[in-house]
Amino acid sequence: MPKNANFLLRRILGLALIILAAAWFARLTSGIDFARLELVAAERYGQQTAQAVREWRAALERAGPTETDKLNAVNVFFNRRILFLDDQTVWGKSDYWATPLEVLWKGAGDCEDFAIAKYFSLKAIGISPDKLRLTYVKVRIGGPYSNMFQAHMVLVYYATPTAEPLILDNLITEIRPASRRPDLVPIFSFNSEGLWVAGSGPEPVASSTSRLSRWRDLLTRMQNDGYE
Amino acid sequence: MSLVRQLWLAVVLITTIVFAGSFLVSMYSASSYLEQQLLRKNLDNASSLALSISQLSKDPVTVDLLVAAQFDNGHYQSITITDPQGGTIASRVQDRNDADVPEWFVRTFPIRSLPGKALVTDGWKQYGTVTVISHNRFAYHALWKQGLAMLAWFTVIALGSGLIGMLVLRGIRRPLNAVVEQAEAVTERRFLSIGEPRIPELKSVAHAMNRMVERIRNMFAEEARELETLQHRLNFDAVTGLANRDYFLSRVREKLSGETEAATGVLLLLRLANLAELNNRLGRVETDAQLHNIAGDFAQIVAVMPEERLAARLNGSDFALFAPNADDAETLARQLAESISQPLSPAALGPRAIFQIGAVPYHRGDQIGELLGAADQALAVAENKGANAWHVLTGTQLPIASGGHAWRELLTNALDDARIKLVLFPVNDARGHEIHQECMVRLHAKTNGDWLTAGDFMPMAVRLDLASTIDLVVVRQALDLLTIEPGDLAVNLSAESMADWAFHNKLAELLRQHGSSTGRLWFEVPEYGAFDEYEALRELCRVLKQFGCKIGIEHIGHRFDEIQNLTELGLDYLKIDASLVRDIAQNEDNQKILKGLCHMAHGIGILVIAVGVENQAEQSTLVELGVDGLTGPFIRAAV
Repeated sequence: MPKNANFLLRRILGLALIILAAAWFARLTSGIDFARLELVAAERYGQQTAQAVREWRAALERAGPTETDKLNAVNVFFNRRILFLDDQTVWGKSDYWATPLEVLWKGAGDCEDFAIAKYFSLKAIGISPDKLRLTYVKVRIGGPYSNMFQAHMVLVYYATPTAEPLILDNLITEIRPASRRPDLVPIFSFNSEGLWVAGSGPEPVASSTSRLSRWRDLLTRMQNDGYE
Repeated sequence: MSLVRQLWLAVVLITTIVFAGSFLVSMYSASSYLEQQLLRKNLDNASSLALSISQLSKDPVTVDLLVAAQFDNGHYQSITITDPQGGTIASRVQDRNDADVPEWFVRTFPIRSLPGKALVTDGWKQYGTVTVISHNRFAYHALWKQGLAMLAWFTVIALGSGLIGMLVLRGIRRPLNAVVEQAEAVTERRFLSIGEPRIPELKSVAHAMNRMVERIRNMFAEEARELETLQHRLNFDAVTGLANRDYFLSRVREKLSGETEAATGVLLLLRLANLAELNNRLGRVETDAQLHNIAGDFAQIVAVMPEERLAARLNGSDFALFAPNADDAETLARQLAESISQPLSPAALGPRAIFQIGAVPYHRGDQIGELLGAADQALAVAENKGANAWHVLTGTQLPIASGGHAWRELLTNALDDARIKLVLFPVNDARGHEIHQECMVRLHAKTNGDWLTAGDFMPMAVRLDLASTIDLVVVRQALDLLTIEPGDLAVNLSAESMADWAFHNKLAELLRQHGSSTGRLWFEVPEYGAFDEYEALRELCRVLKQFGCKIGIEHIGHRFDEIQNLTELGLDYLKIDASLVRDIAQNEDNQKILKGLCHMAHGIGILVIAVGVENQAEQSTLVELGVDGLTGPFIRAAV
């Protein structure tokens, strides 16, 4: 009998843990706890990273009231502060989605890292994720008539669902509307809302298998960093 | 509720709770797992569908075909594409719901298929959102299958654990029942020991009970031994081991008057002619040895029918043999004479007479004085006959019937004509309240003859194998009497019936037919039968106890050494032989014996009843000694 009771207890405890973890993760959408992030940065990566976090925070706080101001502030901060290097160079892996903190620590990242860092920064300062898309694009390199394309990712902003989108790209400093980016061919776009059914339901994030998704894995690591 | 049943219930309850608990938990966790899997599938499929549509031209036909292709080939509840404003571009919804799972199951364990969403773009423009909802009937089906499998496993495991539980409980129940049986036996005055079980709690109970039972038995045995010693010292001759004069006379007086005693028999006297001279010639030691030999010969003859014959040394040179039912006095006398003279040494035999034997047949009702006189007369005739001679004085009374054939006819006729009746004698306690009435059997020998008592015909009935038939008739009549008698009735069973196992079955059958009144029926068997056929008595007790009958032993008083065996039978009462009761007010020796016997019997809750009480003095003394019940002429007269 005790064996069965033990088994039962473990089941119940397991369920309770799942529920707790789910509740915790639900808070992830709310924003960035910079104080905590700074502590984690200092503790894990040293003062230099903590300083970068402070700068990041300052940049976000300095951003103007309009959405255009915010887009500019975020775009400028990351484009200037972070070096564009491929994952192989930075992480020694062919493809790695770094968290914003990791990006600040390394001071470098590839196109996904830029897009992701910008996405979460904008979300944190009040831009609805509805308007943001992480978009896989083909980028033509070597002039307008070149046939060479490279895989790339940018952050896209839609002021309204039918408006012409603005492109936040790490290849160029300036934010431009899509029509002024003939070098980009969009392939597929997503945001966290589509993957993440807001509100009720079992939270796939919590289960270990959901980390098989890059996106989930990233979210988990961000949460470890102190991103709420 | 019995302990074993409670344990069973606990096993069943715990098994059920554990199963129900683990069943619910695993069903819920399985359904939540399935729900996750559905969501993941929805998300992944939505992404890939959105990706495909994003790459193709967005004319309505193509989009619709893509949705249809995905929907028709997959397992979906619905696939919808909505534009950014919420309008539907394409949609497919499953209208079948042929789930093979019961409705209640679906309600109890809901599995939601949460929609997976992905965005479709047309170049840089937003085109719409793909919403994919997989059908959950497959999930239900899987869950249902799992539930059934669990149920099947549970049944197997429950049966297995039930089997194990049964074995364990049986292991507990056997020793438990033994302990309970022992306890019940003690309340019925059966003092049995049991093997101590291995279960510690039961072991200590059984141990304590065994100790108690053992102590009671030892106590009883101890007292019985003391009584035996006392009785022996008081009633038997120290040199020969035969009964002494007083004891012999009181027994003989009883056997001549008791109505269940044999109707006829032989009294034989043996006189050593020149004991004083023998003593001089051989010396005291040798003489005592010779006396022992003679006592031995007596004992041998007694041994032929040990329960009835009685040998005694009346004084220094006179010996007596009282042989009820011995119908040939001549044979008996000759036998004795031969067996005494044969082994005697020539020195002891000498030229002169050593012994004379005189024998006389008797009938019940003869006076003891006259009988002894007649025996003396026979002895005198023998002395006149010469050295070591014997003589039989023939009586004048006519026998009731002569020869086995005549007796058989007489008895079977009486049985066939139902010429048997019961006469009741009251048995009261010290304050005169009736304990029971003892049924004495009477048999009408011939159509106009007298009513015969048990002693008249039972010896012949035994010899002719009719004793148990008569006993059955007696029991049947007693059972009939019980319907009109308000009190209890006691009947005598012969030793032969008691030892007859076929009789046990017939008796049980008879009692079964009279189920209601058997609790008021008492049975008594004679002491000699009880001790000689101990196994039969134990079986009889077992049979009679089933019907609530009481069981006692009558004519107690001669074999105290064997009385200790009675502790495990569950006896209810003892009837003291009248020879111990006779003149009890004056006989201090017998008072000691009776007092000890009462103490011993009361120790294990057995009633003691004195038989043959003749006067007030006897009654008072008996009550003082602790006797519980009294019967006899005095008691009958008082009623």
